[in-house]
Amino acid sequence: MSGGPAVRISIESSCEKQVQEVDFHGTETYVPPLSMSQNLTKLAQRIDFSQGSDSEEDGGEGEPGDREWGKQEEEEGTVKFQPSLWPWDSVRNNLRSALTEMCVLHDVLSVVKEKKYMALDPVSQDLTAGKTPQVFQLISKKKSLATAAQLLLKGAEKLSKSVAENQENRRQRDFNAELLRLRSQWKLRKVGDKILGDLSYRSAGSLFPHPGTFEVIKNTDIDLEKKVPEDYCPLDVQIPSDLEGSAYIKVSIQKQAPDIGDLGTVNLFRRPQKSKGGTQPWHVKLEAAQNVLLCKEIFAQLSREAVQIKSQIPHIVVKNQIISQPFPGLQLSISLCHSTGEKKSSRASPEKPKPDDHLYVLEHNLHQMMREFHKQQLSSVVMPHPASAPFGHKRLRLAGPMAYDKAEISNLQQSEGLLEKIIKQAKHIFLRSRTARTIDSLASRIEDPQIQAHWSNINDVFESSVKVLITSHGYEQICKSIQLQLNIGVEQIRVVHRDGRVITLSHQEQELQDFLLSQMSQHQVHAVQQLAKVMGWHVLSFSNHVGLGPVESIGNASAITVASPNGEYAISVRNGPESGCKVVVQFPRSQIKDLPKSDVVQDTKWNQLRGPHKEVNWSKMEGRNFVYKMELLMAALTPCP
Amino acid sequence: MEAPPVTVMPITSGTINMMEYLLQGSVLDLALESLLHRLRGLCDNMEPETFTDHELVYLLKGQQGNPFILRARRSLSHPTAPWHLRYLGQPEVGDKSRHALVRNCVDVAASHSLPDFLNEMGFRMDHEFVTSGHIFRKGAMKVVVCSVSRVLVPGNTENTERMSLSHLVELSVLAPAGQDTMSEDMRSFAEQLKPLIHLEKIDPSKQRH
Repeated sequence: MSGGPAVRISIESSCEKQVQEVDFHGTETYVPPLSMSQNLTKLAQRIDFSQGSDSEEDGGEGEPGDREWGKQEEEEGTVKFQPSLWPWDSVRNNLRSALTEMCVLHDVLSVVKEKKYMALDPVSQDLTAGKTPQVFQLISKKKSLATAAQLLLKGAEKLSKSVAENQENRRQRDFNAELLRLRSQWKLRKVGDKILGDLSYRSAGSLFPHPGTFEVIKNTDIDLEKKVPEDYCPLDVQIPSDLEGSAYIKVSIQKQAPDIGDLGTVNLFRRPQKSKGGTQPWHVKLEAAQNVLLCKEIFAQLSREAVQIKSQIPHIVVKNQIISQPFPGLQLSISLCHSTGEKKSSRASPEKPKPDDHLYVLEHNLHQMMREFHKQQLSSVVMPHPASAPFGHKRLRLAGPMAYDKAEISNLQQSEGLLEKIIKQAKHIFLRSRTARTIDSLASRIEDPQIQAHWSNINDVFESSVKVLITSHGYEQICKSIQLQLNIGVEQIRVVHRDGRVITLSHQEQELQDFLLSQMSQHQVHAVQQLAKVMGWHVLSFSNHVGLGPVESIGNASAITVASPNGEYAISVRNGPESGCKVVVQFPRSQIKDLPKSDVVQDTKWNQLRGPHKEVNWSKMEGRNFVYKMELLMAALTPCP
Repeated sequence: MEAPPVTVMPITSGTINMMEYLLQGSVLDLALESLLHRLRGLCDNMEPETFTDHELVYLLKGQQGNPFILRARRSLSHPTAPWHLRYLGQPEVGDKSRHALVRNCVDVAASHSLPDFLNEMGFRMDHEFVTSGHIFRKGAMKVVVCSVSRVLVPGNTENTERMSLSHLVELSVLAPAGQDTMSEDMRSFAEQLKPLIHLEKIDPSKQRH
């Protein structure tokens, strides 16, 4: 700014006069400014007489004020059209009219004061309100307050209603969301105004006639005032009364036949209900009901088969129990335990400490087989080809054209029932457990030789196998003669010997026990044979089944005779399962002093012949088991080199 | 060996005395997809199956009266499946209010030598056709949606010509006589297909005239 050259700026005052018009030439004609008196008139006209400074007459003079407004407007109009009039004309007019009004008011008041001709009466409400006594004021105040309160209350009601509606809407939404969730897991359909669901396994192939329907209930009328319980769910389900509670199939095997009076009164005890976190209450309920339905179906199927199947010992169906005899003296009981409510559980609880004789495997298998049956039902339905052919089993339709005979057809139709299968499984389980017990009891009872059982971990439902080894402690490496493979089936046990012999044992416990005892007694003789090989002794004779000596009640005795390396001594062992072992040592004639003189053998060369036998007092022998004793004996009879 | 007893009297029980309850309709090929879609939703939850069958209609002309008709059908898609021999009786007049056509029906599965056997018996083939389409099942009800093709050269099922631009739809149930509840079920099922197809009781004998 400071350094710049001075610029000349001309300033002109803005036009103070109003422009009236602009010519074509651009010259502006201005409105001539008002003269002093004109200006005064203009200002005087602006005086508003309606706004009186006197407040006393404010209320009473409302109407005259209005009137004056009108007057003023009129006057303004006249002023505009008659600008030459005296400037104070409007002011004078106003004042005059005011004076008139005042005079009238004065007259009226004076007349009223006389109270002769005129009296003041409340006309307008404003006046009365202003002059009513306090009681009325109070009443009116109360009234207005009441109306105000009413208004407020109404508003509050509306608000709360809308809030409730909101909540209801939310609940409704919750219900719909729950319904959607339910729909994704269960079959639902709408019948009339009800929503019905399907619990049954019919779509999975079940033929059980129970309808298995449940009803979906909207559980939204809950009291808003009360606290909403934690497990509240806007959706509830109503299941048929006969599917309520919990149920399971109990399978057990009992040894003794119970009193017939006890039949059908299996105690019902509730299992503790496991409630998984996070699942909906209706889901738990429905799953329980479906389980009840499945249990019922299994039991119905089993009872039907129990009645239909002809067996030697008829199956008994009493109330909720099916009793069958797989083996003589053994009883398989399958019962449907269904506890419907709290009452029964409390009643049955004192009986709970009874030993738990469930056969969980069989219970599980029953469920599994039922589902397999369902699946079979579903998959057996195939579409006919050609399309005109009737529905039905394809194989049966083949029977005619392929000229099946009766046997083939009955083969096609035959299918094992649930009951037969479960009885077979029970038999197998029983046989297996009894075999295990027999082997264990033998192993614990007999220390020498030792018996070992190796059970295979993977079994078929109808077959399992065990490997039985009979060994002597400390000589496991050399005495491996007896290795038995026991294949336990449903009715019998097949024993496969190491050398390929197959022996079939029945389900009788005694048979297995006798067989194992005889094998153990044979083992001892085999062990002597093996030991002789190791010790350098010669086996002179060996027999598994000796035809001489006392008759054994179980199996046969076996015997072996071994000679010392130089042939001087011989040991004979006879071992029977019942009679035990007898060990005899034959000495050379030379060692015997009191040899009876014989007429036949007199030459000294006959001294090399073996002499008489002497029995070893085996129980007095040193050594912890038979083979060890035998080793000691052999060692004793072997001359030192 | 004792000869089996010869049955002279008509067998009144078992699978022999079965009635076929039938409703028929047809759908244009354009609307076929939506009909199949609907059927897939309504019928039993099974894999939808297609079929191609070859049907031969045999006549045995006697001295008087109507010829005796037998239908022999084989599956072209399942060549090993047995042949199907079918006798269809005249539609029962009976109850007009019944919702479905009812006729006697005898189904026999037969071996592959069926045509020769029928020829030997004196039957003569009247006409043959090839049908292919879809088969659905709902309970006992069978729904067959198929197109019918004319066999141009007798015996050659490869060379065929479509009869029309529409599919034949048949809803049928095999049931013992007198089960009118069946026709109720069929009607309600047909109702559910209503906008897409109108299944009706069509008397073939009246169609001819």
